[in-house]
Amino acid sequence: MKGPLLAVDRVSLAFGGVQALNDVSLEVRNGEILALIGPNGAGKTTLFNVVSGVLRPNAGQIRFAGRSIVGWAPQRIARAGVARTYQVVRPFGRLSVVDNVAVGALVHARTIGRARSDARDIVTFVGLASYADRPAASLTLTQRKRLEVARALALRPKLLLLDEVMAGLTPTEMDGMAEFVLRLSERGIAAVAGIEHVMRLVMRISHRIVVLDAGRRIADGDPATIQADPAVIEAYLGAPLGPGD
Amino acid sequence: MKRGASALAALAVVLLILAPLRLNGYAMDLTYITVLSIGLAYGWNIISGYAGYFSFGQIAFFGVGAYATALLVADAQWFWLPAAVAGGAAACALAVPLGYVMLRLRGPFFAMGMFGMAQMVRVLVTSIPATGSGAGLFLPPGSGITGVYYWTLAVSLGALALTMWIERSAFGLRLRALREDEQVAATLGVETTRAKITAFGLSALIPGLLGGGYAMFLTYIEPDAVFSSRLDLQSIVMAILGGLGTVWGPLVGGLVMTQVSEVLWARFPEIYLMIFGGLLVGLLIVLPRGIVPAIAARFAHRRGQ
Repeated sequence: MKGPLLAVDRVSLAFGGVQALNDVSLEVRNGEILALIGPNGAGKTTLFNVVSGVLRPNAGQIRFAGRSIVGWAPQRIARAGVARTYQVVRPFGRLSVVDNVAVGALVHARTIGRARSDARDIVTFVGLASYADRPAASLTLTQRKRLEVARALALRPKLLLLDEVMAGLTPTEMDGMAEFVLRLSERGIAAVAGIEHVMRLVMRISHRIVVLDAGRRIADGDPATIQADPAVIEAYLGAPLGPGD
Repeated sequence: MKRGASALAALAVVLLILAPLRLNGYAMDLTYITVLSIGLAYGWNIISGYAGYFSFGQIAFFGVGAYATALLVADAQWFWLPAAVAGGAAACALAVPLGYVMLRLRGPFFAMGMFGMAQMVRVLVTSIPATGSGAGLFLPPGSGITGVYYWTLAVSLGALALTMWIERSAFGLRLRALREDEQVAATLGVETTRAKITAFGLSALIPGLLGGGYAMFLTYIEPDAVFSSRLDLQSIVMAILGGLGTVWGPLVGGLVMTQVSEVLWARFPEIYLMIFGGLLVGLLIVLPRGIVPAIAARFAHRRGQ
């Protein structure tokens, strides 16, 4: 396939008087890790909602694997290979951990038995094996974050949209999640990770960074360029980045 | 606990099959009405228990099945059994386009919408001159309760079997996922509209099939008798009391409710409804998820210790 995996082209979306996304463009290549950073309210979640089909943009074009996906239903986009997690974790509380993951696995599995066994592998892969048969409502926040990722992986996506996967995690858990995203990238799964702060990790794992501020893209480049960009420092970071954070 | 429950269920089925040999008159009528309401409860449980779309209008499909059967029997001289099957098909055929519109509503809006829809269907059906409008329709007698009873028992057992399949199938998993969170289910690739309409169609097919038998049981039908909010509410309460979205809930809730209500009626004929209402409120406060989940939790707890 030629061209980028995902191409968001001049997308805008307003809620009433609030311009949540204003002429935003970005591209993601196969296997790339793109960090989408910006303060709370910058439009990261809205962008994920637009790409995953939960919201429809007022203007602009979105192409995935060469096809325009604006106006597609969320399930169609999911089946095409775009999986997402939710910032506020939303497990199917009364279903077991395995069944939570099996729902997505049904897209590829012929039978429910097959879907459940695929789901069990993924549950093990994200380190939830010992909770596999418990109701998802009994998981802790960290475990629920992993469950979100497991459910998304069950779709066998080409692109993962990770909405604030680091929020609420301890530094050790963040490192674990970062390693995890790197491993996915090695397997050829591209990821867009929306992250509010934790610059240390952003600089380490991302191939490229896009900075959003008040619905606008204010910078796009590799970590070194972004770190030196005066507009980013001015609008978002407030002060030059030190080596530690 | 699983084995005990299956043995109990098998015993109940055998007793129900043998019922017409030993019972007659009032006891037989009561058994018929019990099996009928349990069947209706199973039908309702699919869309409302598994898919989470609480409907107050499934009785519309019962009424459509009853009227379709009555018309085929009275005007076209069909034998009642194929007519009852056609009644089920008619209810199902009505449910698909109706579901496409109604299932865009959620929560209380769907519940209220279905209530209104049932009234509309009732007015439409009774405005057809051939149905005798409000005056009703007489059916040729002669089918007897035994045939109607076995038909009703077969449909209700079929509804139970269907529920057992749903519980274990991919379709059932999709329904439960969308019940928990429809938007997340969609972003995980679940074709939510298709799953909901299928569930709605099945939830209409069962009352549709049962309606024809009821028409033959009454031998005279009029709008109030078949679009019966009493039957509708009774089956809903049975499913909730037994355990919403469970395989055995409608059966257990149905048996408990009819037995308790009969005992109360025999002892306190004047105030039995009041006592029954109080008991129901009390039970649901103590067991908010219903009888079957409460028993299952108790056994799981004991095993865990």
